[in-house]
Amino acid sequence: MKKKILALVMAAAMTLGLTACGGGDSSSAGSAASTGSQSAGSASNVSASDFKVGAIYINKKSDTAGYTYAHHTGITKAMEALGMDVDKQLFIVDEVPEDDTQVGAAVDTLVGEGCNIIFGISFGYLNEMEVKAEEYPDVIFSHATGFKSNETNYNNYFGRIYQARYLAGLAAGLKSLETGNNNIGYVSAYDTEYAETCSGINGFTLGVQAVNPEATVYVKELGAWADEVNEYAFAEELINSYGCGIVAQHCDSAQPQLAAEKAGVFGCGYNSDMTADAPKAHLTAPVWNWDVYYKHAIETAMSCESADQFVTAMEGPAYYGGLNEGMVDVSPLSDNCAAGTQDAIDQVKALIGSGEWDVFSGVKLNVTVADGKASVEKVDAPLMTNDGTEIVVAGGTSVEDSVITGSMNYLVEGVKNA
Amino acid sequence: MHFHIVKRDSCPFWKKLCLYLAAVAAALVLGGLLLLVMGVDPIAYYQRMFTMGMVGNKIAYKTFENYLKVFVPLVLTSVALSLAFKMRFWNIGGEGQFILGAVAAAAVALKLKDSLPQGVVLILMCLAGMAAAGVYGALAAVLKVKFGTNETLMTLMLNYVALYFLIFLGETQAEWNFFLDTSSARPVFFNFGKEVAFPRIMIGKFGLNVCVLLTLLIGVLVYCYLKYSKHGYEIAVVGDSAGTAHYAGMKVNAIVLRTVFLSACLIGLAAAFKVGTVGILSTSFTDDVGWTGVIVAWLAQLNTGIIFVVSALISMLQHGSTVAAATFAQVDSSFADMLQGAILFLVLAADFFIRFQVVRAQKGGSVNGNG
Repeated sequence: MKKKILALVMAAAMTLGLTACGGGDSSSAGSAASTGSQSAGSASNVSASDFKVGAIYINKKSDTAGYTYAHHTGITKAMEALGMDVDKQLFIVDEVPEDDTQVGAAVDTLVGEGCNIIFGISFGYLNEMEVKAEEYPDVIFSHATGFKSNETNYNNYFGRIYQARYLAGLAAGLKSLETGNNNIGYVSAYDTEYAETCSGINGFTLGVQAVNPEATVYVKELGAWADEVNEYAFAEELINSYGCGIVAQHCDSAQPQLAAEKAGVFGCGYNSDMTADAPKAHLTAPVWNWDVYYKHAIETAMSCESADQFVTAMEGPAYYGGLNEGMVDVSPLSDNCAAGTQDAIDQVKALIGSGEWDVFSGVKLNVTVADGKASVEKVDAPLMTNDGTEIVVAGGTSVEDSVITGSMNYLVEGVKNA
Repeated sequence: MHFHIVKRDSCPFWKKLCLYLAAVAAALVLGGLLLLVMGVDPIAYYQRMFTMGMVGNKIAYKTFENYLKVFVPLVLTSVALSLAFKMRFWNIGGEGQFILGAVAAAAVALKLKDSLPQGVVLILMCLAGMAAAGVYGALAAVLKVKFGTNETLMTLMLNYVALYFLIFLGETQAEWNFFLDTSSARPVFFNFGKEVAFPRIMIGKFGLNVCVLLTLLIGVLVYCYLKYSKHGYEIAVVGDSAGTAHYAGMKVNAIVLRTVFLSACLIGLAAAFKVGTVGILSTSFTDDVGWTGVIVAWLAQLNTGIIFVVSALISMLQHGSTVAAATFAQVDSSFADMLQGAILFLVLAADFFIRFQVVRAQKGGSVNGNG
């Protein structure tokens, strides 16, 4: 954008007749300096004070909200917890688009700085990181949200955010019972196109229906991961045209919550606790605790014999932490939540924690609240899509992780496209 | 007290040079102050930036290869744009022409990589890139010549048509869309870098891409074309005054079409070079060369040789500031943009003082300088 303006200014300047000058003068920029500072580091198995962490971000490292911010906070928090000096041991190349050449250059820069582990946070980095992992076997590569890996120094990581969404769904469902309005809105970046958004919608809806089987979740698709104008407009439309009394979201900003606040209805945010943004509307938000993974990964990387042991030491090429690991959670419940919400969430959390139940299985939870006390009952019931296809038979085991992260492309019963 | 701005008759070379250098120095000082405010040592930062972090770096050769990957498309695009600018045809469409050139070159690579030898594929990629970009550029020229449309607006808007076409290709999973990698569930471009790539001359660990040499060669050819050929003379005359050119019996329209086509062709070639170097498309494939190229061409005052110098410096600024920003936590990528902007505007200001001078109005006298 800035480039564009400059280019146009230049064009305008030329139009004013510079070409007639014709002179051949050079403008040369400053002098080249000589001495350097850093020397490239070596492989793993180095002490905590020598270990260097590299990161490649899609947006600015100075962001104060959003996706890059969440990861940056996670990495710095993890490093601080491990007693590392963020100023000296963290190297970042930011605003790197999903372009192999630029990702490759960023990796080269970080390897040149001597980084021992390099995190890439955007999906489209996956291929170039795979290539670079082979090129630099002494360096560990770790990629968020992707599905590629190798057996030695390249893994990927993500979290079971659908579990947190299920819990937020419980809060929304209980609120809908309290208000008597069965229409719930959901502003989503995409719907079935990405398994990530699709599993989010489904997890939330199953949570809603566990308390209020009469409820319908109306999904409105943005077609972009972040689009502040439409995030607000779509939430408004869900409230006004579909009569939604609660608006949940899978998008970057707090705009849907602001729309809910303004309309006097309720909502569930995403990514960070949005209660401060919409104090009268916000119930709770599914949140990420990326520092959980980063701490685990950096710790593992530091204790590895060598970089090629990393994937083994991480117990597999794909990290997929959930509520149990603390990788995902719901933000503290606001006072707007219906009575008994905390108890219901705690009980379901315990159920997931015990490993005896998960969201996308052939067992449904019936959660009822009376006098502020929740009771949870397990019922065998098939997992059905909203067009009547049976995905999991009644009593069947949960859908596989690879489906949840990679190929889920159906919406469950109770979801309607708005 | 009154001041008037008066056009200078001439400005000696050393004075121009000093003014430009002062402008760059002032920009660096300005940036340095900003760094100080952020708590960063400006000397250390600039040192890191101008050496692109290559000192004490065991993979410094990689840094230089990456630097050349930024440099080659930029310099070739700038040279190409200068051809059109010399004629006062304001081709702001470098981005769009680059994209179409890239798409055409990638299409050739994807379709023919299995059936033809690599050398032939690479040559066909260059030709396809040139043809696609050339026609796209010439489109704006035809409209200008035929209907008198404004080429600045036309080329500017065509950039977006090309960009959205590329985004469409990148996001649409369909049977016909051979640009995408079918093995991926989510849409990503297919990478043919292992099968089709311009050869590199290995100097130790450092691989010199032949595109670098070809680009230097093209620079010399364009220089000669502009300086010694009849076409070059025609371009200069049309640039000075279309009326004069017409009066001298030149076919102005034909010259405009020919030159714009050539200009866009070279941009397409730059795109083909890049496709053949990186082996994959992306929606940010141009890396803004179409925009930066305008700036470079202007800073170099359309002088082919100086375009090489300015491109080298701007690429160093771009690549160097990324490297420097990696080390300094407080500085993010916006600093590079700011610094570049400051340099450009201060050089623009210097240019003003090269072409004009400010004089105090004489007492009581009437000054008829055009202010």
